[in-house]
Amino acid sequence: MITYIYIERRIIIDNVLANKKLFKADGTASENLKYLVFLIYGLILIIFGLIADSPNRIIYGLYKIIIEPDLLITDYIGVGGIGAAFVNSGLLTVISIFIMYHNKIRLTGATISAIWLISGFSLFGKNIFNVWFVIIGVLLHAKYQREPFAKYIYFAFLGTSLSPMVTQIMLGINLPRIISVPLGAAVGIFMGFILPPLASYLMRVHQGFNLYNTGFTAGIIGTVFVSLLRSYGVAIESRLIWTSGNNLVLGSFLIIMFLSMIMYGIRLDRNSISTWKNIFKYHGKLVTDFTILQGFPATLINMGINGLFATFYIILIGGDLNGPTIGGIFTIVGFGSFGKHLKNIIPILIGVFIGGMTKTWSLTNPSVQLAALFGTTLAPIAGEFGWKYGIIAGFLQSSVALYVGYLHGGLNLYNSGFAGGIVAAVIIPIVEAFRKDEF
Amino acid sequence: MKHNKLKISKIIDELINFCFSVGGTEIGVNIKEKPDFFEIHLSSDYKCENKEKVGELCKLLKCEKTEEMEEYYWHLTGDSDVDTELTLVGMMTDSCNIDITPNNHIDITLFRNK
Repeated sequence: MITYIYIERRIIIDNVLANKKLFKADGTASENLKYLVFLIYGLILIIFGLIADSPNRIIYGLYKIIIEPDLLITDYIGVGGIGAAFVNSGLLTVISIFIMYHNKIRLTGATISAIWLISGFSLFGKNIFNVWFVIIGVLLHAKYQREPFAKYIYFAFLGTSLSPMVTQIMLGINLPRIISVPLGAAVGIFMGFILPPLASYLMRVHQGFNLYNTGFTAGIIGTVFVSLLRSYGVAIESRLIWTSGNNLVLGSFLIIMFLSMIMYGIRLDRNSISTWKNIFKYHGKLVTDFTILQGFPATLINMGINGLFATFYIILIGGDLNGPTIGGIFTIVGFGSFGKHLKNIIPILIGVFIGGMTKTWSLTNPSVQLAALFGTTLAPIAGEFGWKYGIIAGFLQSSVALYVGYLHGGLNLYNSGFAGGIVAAVIIPIVEAFRKDEF
Repeated sequence: MKHNKLKISKIIDELINFCFSVGGTEIGVNIKEKPDFFEIHLSSDYKCENKEKVGELCKLLKCEKTEEMEEYYWHLTGDSDVDTELTLVGMMTDSCNIDITPNNHIDITLFRNK
């Protein structure tokens, strides 16, 4: 079945590639080709889900995903099954790609990372129901500013990190549905409306050394909002829905996916392996767009290699491949186009590893597995200041990420972005104060 | 607020940071506001050992204007003395002319529509 699908996909791709609009006059990949590549990966997620479960179980699983609260950590594989989780992820990926394409957004590293964030977090927190309210809020903000929605599209998609807030109010607090449902919708829309100026402004706090800037912003918003809720007696407790035992099937799927990225990158440009090595010279601080700096083929290779590395990291430490960890892996893959490479993520993981050896928790603790994967938000610190500071950043991040979640009640999916902003805000001024060299 | 003039200031900050990073010792900036656009002109010397970095400037500044990137990331321009955001400057400008002369001198002219 997998072989048949591969051959079918090969035939489709070869026919489509024959269309010259997929390549520019100089032979490099056009925007259409880049979009097609990621559209195919989105479809693959759907197909994988359809293979994993029967249609009836998938439909029921999607229903359960929608009605279940989504605060951290809610593994959709545990809620609705592998099939429903991957169909949810694939659907949101494909829809996001169409929205980006329709708005004529260039497929830069920023776009690619946003798409993969959607893919990953659609396995544990974002679903085909709860994402739209924040997006509508951003759309209303654009209308208010009399600007096209395209200008705010990154805020819209990245801001869906606050989607759990919508379902928590709609379904998780003790109010009649006739009040809680519109209230949840209104809160989601309001969050989206205020997000753009906040996210843009708060970039200054970490100066781009924290790649998940929206996570930092969402953490601030979530902290204020949850504090308000708690002031009125609303209890928000974190939860843990976490699956294990699927490493073989999920690991095989991921490895094939990432190997295909590497192979296709080489197929697009035979010199892309040596171009890929040039990526290591970049620090990774926002904005480091590898599609612009080194080209699409080298970027695809970097994404694939990052994905393989992150997958093997989870497997080797004895961790679990499930919704949240695959979400973390997809984030590393996506940011493989926008700042992350092996040279700047390995020190972060070493820092988390040292933490695992010395602190009270183990590396296979679910929160620590996620802290390691998502802690790579601080990769630019290793890239700019060296591996020692990268290790320190990873060591600190693993603790901060475990304990700041309480502030926003787990309603900010990009918890590591919030923690990363705090860690970066502490480390950067200190390192720069003691650094002697400047221009 | 659209912060249009603040964005111009930050673009200039970023370019001045770049000139310092390539060893510039004599940097001149001139800004003209026209009815439909801003014209920013910057000139600087540079040290010859930074020739490669100067060459990279052309590639980065000639990025296509990308408004969605500008809206999200513009606050990063001009704020760091450990790294430059020239890709972002390229995405915030509509067109540019770069002239690198053999006597280690750069002339940059950027145009940003209102």
